[in-house]
Amino acid sequence: MKKKTKLTPYLYIIPGLLMVLGFVYIPIAVNLVYSFFRLSSYSSSMKFVGLDNFRRLFTSETFPIMIRNNVYYAVISLIVQVGFGTALALLLESKLASERFRSICRNIYFIPALVSLTAVGLMFNFIYNPQFGMLNTFLKNIGLPQLQQTWLGDKNLAIFCIIAMSQWQFTGYITLLMVVAFQNISSDYVEAAIIDGAGPVKRALSIMLPLAKEQLLVCSIITVIGAFKLFTEVYSTTSGGPGNSSQVLGLFLYQNAFLHDDMGMAAATGVLIFVITVTASIFQLRISHSGEV
Amino acid sequence: MSDDKYVVKHMVLKILLHVFLLILVAIILLPVCWLILNSLKTNQEMFLNSLALPKEWRFVNYVTAWSKGLVSYFKNSIIISAISIFFILALSSLMAYGLTRFNLPGSGFLFILVLGGMALSEQVALVPLYKILQALKLYNTRAALVLPYVAFRIPFTMFLMRSYFISIPKELEEAAIVDGCNSLQRFLRIILPISKPVLASCAIVNLNNVWNEFLFANVFLENRKLMTIPIGLMTFQGDLKTDYAVMLAGILIASLPMVVLFLCMSKQFVRGLTSGAVKG
Amino acid sequence: MKKNLKKMLCLALAAMMAMGATACGGSSSSDSGATTAAAAAEAADGGSSDSGAAAAATDGDVKVIKLFHRFPDDPANSFIEEKIAEYEAAHPDIKFEVTSAQNQPYKEKIKVVVGSDETPDIFFSFCGEFSERFIREGLLLDLTPYLEADSEWKASLMETQMNEYTTSDGMVYGIPFRLDAKEFFYNVDMFNELGLEVPETWDEFIEVLDAIQAAGIVPIAEGNQDKWPACHYIGALNAQLVPQEIRDADYNAATGEFTDPGYVEALEKYQQLVSYMNMGVNGMTHDMARLGFTQGQNAILYAELVEITNIKDENPDLNWGMFSFPVIEGAKGDPELVSGAPEGFAISSSTQYPDECVEFLKWFLGAEVGAQQADQVGWFNASLGVDEGLTDESLISAYEVIANAKKMDIWFDNALYSTVCDEYLAEISDVTNGDITPADAMVKIQAVAKEAQTLAQ
Repeated sequence: MKKKTKLTPYLYIIPGLLMVLGFVYIPIAVNLVYSFFRLSSYSSSMKFVGLDNFRRLFTSETFPIMIRNNVYYAVISLIVQVGFGTALALLLESKLASERFRSICRNIYFIPALVSLTAVGLMFNFIYNPQFGMLNTFLKNIGLPQLQQTWLGDKNLAIFCIIAMSQWQFTGYITLLMVVAFQNISSDYVEAAIIDGAGPVKRALSIMLPLAKEQLLVCSIITVIGAFKLFTEVYSTTSGGPGNSSQVLGLFLYQNAFLHDDMGMAAATGVLIFVITVTASIFQLRISHSGEV
Repeated sequence: MSDDKYVVKHMVLKILLHVFLLILVAIILLPVCWLILNSLKTNQEMFLNSLALPKEWRFVNYVTAWSKGLVSYFKNSIIISAISIFFILALSSLMAYGLTRFNLPGSGFLFILVLGGMALSEQVALVPLYKILQALKLYNTRAALVLPYVAFRIPFTMFLMRSYFISIPKELEEAAIVDGCNSLQRFLRIILPISKPVLASCAIVNLNNVWNEFLFANVFLENRKLMTIPIGLMTFQGDLKTDYAVMLAGILIASLPMVVLFLCMSKQFVRGLTSGAVKG
Repeated sequence: MKKNLKKMLCLALAAMMAMGATACGGSSSSDSGATTAAAAAEAADGGSSDSGAAAAATDGDVKVIKLFHRFPDDPANSFIEEKIAEYEAAHPDIKFEVTSAQNQPYKEKIKVVVGSDETPDIFFSFCGEFSERFIREGLLLDLTPYLEADSEWKASLMETQMNEYTTSDGMVYGIPFRLDAKEFFYNVDMFNELGLEVPETWDEFIEVLDAIQAAGIVPIAEGNQDKWPACHYIGALNAQLVPQEIRDADYNAATGEFTDPGYVEALEKYQQLVSYMNMGVNGMTHDMARLGFTQGQNAILYAELVEITNIKDENPDLNWGMFSFPVIEGAKGDPELVSGAPEGFAISSSTQYPDECVEFLKWFLGAEVGAQQADQVGWFNASLGVDEGLTDESLISAYEVIANAKKMDIWFDNALYSTVCDEYLAEISDVTNGDITPADAMVKIQAVAKEAQTLAQ
């Protein structure tokens, strides 16, 4: 009887735990094993190749390009989505505009985050089209045809076009999250600061931001992880082109697995993504905890 | 005098802020307007001048897009999302309940273990999951999507619910214990009803995720009859011929439900996000 | 197994909820919870009900044949569905399960399903390396004995096209569904206005392009965002500039080196053409660029014969003609090769019904259906005589291009091993933008080809 009451609570945990173990942890462990083998999708034979997949990955011509692109994505997303997004949230909470106007703006900014990545990718294929896309047509009509670009077809611009698309889509998301975080801050703090004579800028920097620090950190962790998971945005626009200029780790993994039947290579890429994202998360968690009481 | 100056400065700031916010609104909405305009043309008209008004407003493009399989993609997305959300919420809330209400030995470890799943990305599991699903004969079934969706969304959802459950005072349950209700009954009759806001927020966030998921849906399904919206949209893009206007119409139709749902529920959504962070 | 587990899980959950309800004063809200869970369990099952039904049917007299193709757009898709329905009506013991995907996803998906339990009995497969990698794993049915057994059938198929679906060991592994080749399409009115003749040699071609450009018209419409369209130029140029034996060795992954100077020259020739193309070649898809040609902005388009219907759709009034790839004089390759390949269906070696599948293909890819296909879709299969009822001049001339071809040179992107192909396409795309010189591009391709030698084994 006594034993039963002790075990029952575990029954609440076990179903979810099994799911996570079975479909998240086990595949990731298996992935590590696969990374030492050569295997294809349509044949059952596996050949142990040691670290060869990793050697091929690290010496591949596209490896530095991929890392560079993923890092660009991470850095720009941190600056625009988290940095600008938070600033925008502060502006929205600055009470200079009416409640109604602010919430309408906030909701509009959030809308792109609700559209699927493929839809946004297909949409931006049009917007960037060199012949009749919105950008080039716009530039032509305001008398600046010399600024027209090939956009997604330009080696130096392609990845930035994709990154810009993501900022368009997700800045409003972070803004909304930060607005929620700021609204959670007790008004006592803010009022106390006003009594102390702190201006709006000082209030933002010394009260609002520190108190929403945790949210800010979660946002940046997720943004960085997202940058190294990048896949659909590139798949639905350039597929890595022109050349290999917009190749990223996620797409490289996918192409190796399902286009080149080189699942071992895909697994090795997966291991790399795993190492990068987990390290980044631990690193950022450390920072957040070190500042905590 | 200085009061006047303050008022003027305030006014200028106010106007600047409004202008700035409206410019951002334009950046979000202008591309959408341009796409709506072009979704009502023919390919040729779009090619020749994408800013011109169509000679004839082709609302028929929307009908064509709808009949090109969108119905079935919608159906699949709804079925898969509904099942996934149900299990995500059920398993996560049960787990959060088990972790927060019983002072179990090892619950701290289990919490960290599950939470760690948040940092793991879908790509890393892609190849093994594909092999596992094939071995289980689940490849190309709806279960092939639901199982990984649920598994990958539990950590985050559990995390949100856990912080919410912790904030629920224990006294609420004590009365029920006196009534002789067991722990499951307490969960169903006290904890769940009180947690409606967080359940709603979790539902929306997960819905947005599952509804728009592409990677797994693209790899684990082969049958067109099972495809979800994000994959279905890609089939609008032909190899040698794409009806671009119809594709745009399809994109707009496919995007509408989530946007409308959000706009209707945005107040509740924001209210529900009282604790923890939400993005995924 | 796991599926049952999941179902059990659902049921357990439902049961738990129901238990909670009855024991504690029966609140209606938890009751509804139980029903939802049960409903969810049922719905979760729905996904596989198709295959379940299929399995049940197999036990009876109905034979289920799965067919996977890459023609999801109309009119081809409806044509296929219509013909299959017809066949089912005539053969009550056979039932088809058809699914389709667009070209790019198809290439990924077919590799995933072939060799699994989900493998389709009949599926679209490009000839060349695309299929040969399946053959190396023993996944395709050898059709040679069936053709030997039915000499009438064998004789009814166009030999030049069947050659492409035959391995070097003589194994036939596919039957063409549509024949295709790449030709230059040109705007006849523009050529007449400028007093231009159809070019036959490379030098004449360049002169024509210069003349068009001088008239203020962008000569060539090209869109290479998807990376495959421009590679067909290279395929055609390689065929002319590199001797056949060397190319054969290089296109074979196990021996590929790509050191012949002709490859560099081909890229250089292509680079020369790029200066006559519309802006943003890499930023546009092929069919977007085609609009430039059909809307009268460009004079020339390098396109596939199967696009004729699209061109006519996009501008029925356009007065256009075709010419073959200009001959580079004094080149070491074969100027008579026609760039293009038949595209057809193969049968899985693990199918339960090989005879039924062959019978179906005999009919579906035969002369009778072929004639209807030519008429309704504008595509030809490899059966002799499918052109007899044709009245459309443009289709007749298209058919002649293929019928007169002595030998085909299959699509460049289907001829190469996938990693080599990927690299080649990436380099062509960089050459298009002027980001790399042809010589440097070939060095990179050589490196990947060398690695592929070990991978392909």
